[in-house]
Amino acid sequence: MKNYKTDTFSINRLKFKKDETIIKEGDYGVSIYKIIKGKVRIFTESEGLEIPLVTIGPGEVIGEIIFLSGGSERRSASARALEDSELEVWHPDMLSKEYDQMPPILKHLADQALNRFIRMNKLLVQLTAKKRQRQEKLKQGDPWAAHRRYYRKEVKLEFVCYPVGVGGGFSLKGEIKDISHGGAGLEILPRKVSKFPYKKGDELIVNTLLPNDKALDFKAKIVSVRKGRTPGSFFLGMSFTDLTDHALKNLGFFLMAA
Amino acid sequence: MSVDSFVYGYMVSEETYEANDYIIKEGSKGDWVYVILEGQVKVKKMTSKGMVTIDTLKEGEIFGEMTLWQLGKSSRSASVIADGLVKVGLLSTERLLKDYESISPQLKTLLKSLIMRLAETTKNAAILAVESN
Repeated sequence: MKNYKTDTFSINRLKFKKDETIIKEGDYGVSIYKIIKGKVRIFTESEGLEIPLVTIGPGEVIGEIIFLSGGSERRSASARALEDSELEVWHPDMLSKEYDQMPPILKHLADQALNRFIRMNKLLVQLTAKKRQRQEKLKQGDPWAAHRRYYRKEVKLEFVCYPVGVGGGFSLKGEIKDISHGGAGLEILPRKVSKFPYKKGDELIVNTLLPNDKALDFKAKIVSVRKGRTPGSFFLGMSFTDLTDHALKNLGFFLMAA
Repeated sequence: MSVDSFVYGYMVSEETYEANDYIIKEGSKGDWVYVILEGQVKVKKMTSKGMVTIDTLKEGEIFGEMTLWQLGKSSRSASVIADGLVKVGLLSTERLLKDYESISPQLKTLLKSLIMRLAETTKNAAILAVESN
């Protein structure tokens, strides 16, 4: 730590290690910090979740909101070092007299910027919370997402599939790319590229052979369709709808094997 | 909110805009600073997924001041569009800059930092706002 004087106020320099907290939301505090070196994230917390507001670097100031709003309020957000950082600490008294004597138009602009900033911050927090809710809902409404949490094994298994309720004449061939307890990822090369017969929600019967030569037959629902790696192919995300005990056992052994 | 008396001291001329006229276009060069004398404006920002309204400013509010603090970086960070008939006053950039030059480096840092934080926060909010539409 280095101390030196400017006029009558001393300016301290503080070092913060990566991940160290500089300001904690809700705490009382008046100091203003100027970043000399490093990167600092400003964030707020909502329902236990961290909402990042901005990341700032050298030359920028943090902790100024209380000073500018002129209150003895609590810190409105937290700040944490994203990397080893060095900060200059200013005591607000050092600035307040000068701030009061500043041309009124600059004060007006500062007040305005502060109000807009507070408004934008609120909007940002609201929108982030909304986005999280949407993501949460999506996860709950989509069994595939939950299934995907299971361990997925990457495989290369040839398969034949056909829609439930239709004969084998409509079968298509392809390769299973990954498989888990919950579902599988299938790559299909349709006979006519222009006309892919399946869509989200369709149920297929899939027959394949595990590497240990055990047959694996299952029914599964298409939960996502996207382009596959092979040109002209489609990648189907599938969630099992029917797996015989026998098939489940075979799959279980297969997944357990390294 | 009405226009503060000291603001008139910086005014060099007046302009009137019809509804939906662009007063400031995002990305364009320019350093005029405006004060709303009558009416209101919408602040809009372009994101990769489209345009989004981020704020509405009313009588007495100053806009276009961001380029003032970011010397050398004079492209506009958002569009400002007339929301109905609007009368604005144009403020002298030179006089504002002279005032700005008169304050201490610390205060300059403080103001500049606040403006940068506002710009950054606005950008982040705009991206999320478009996503949520």
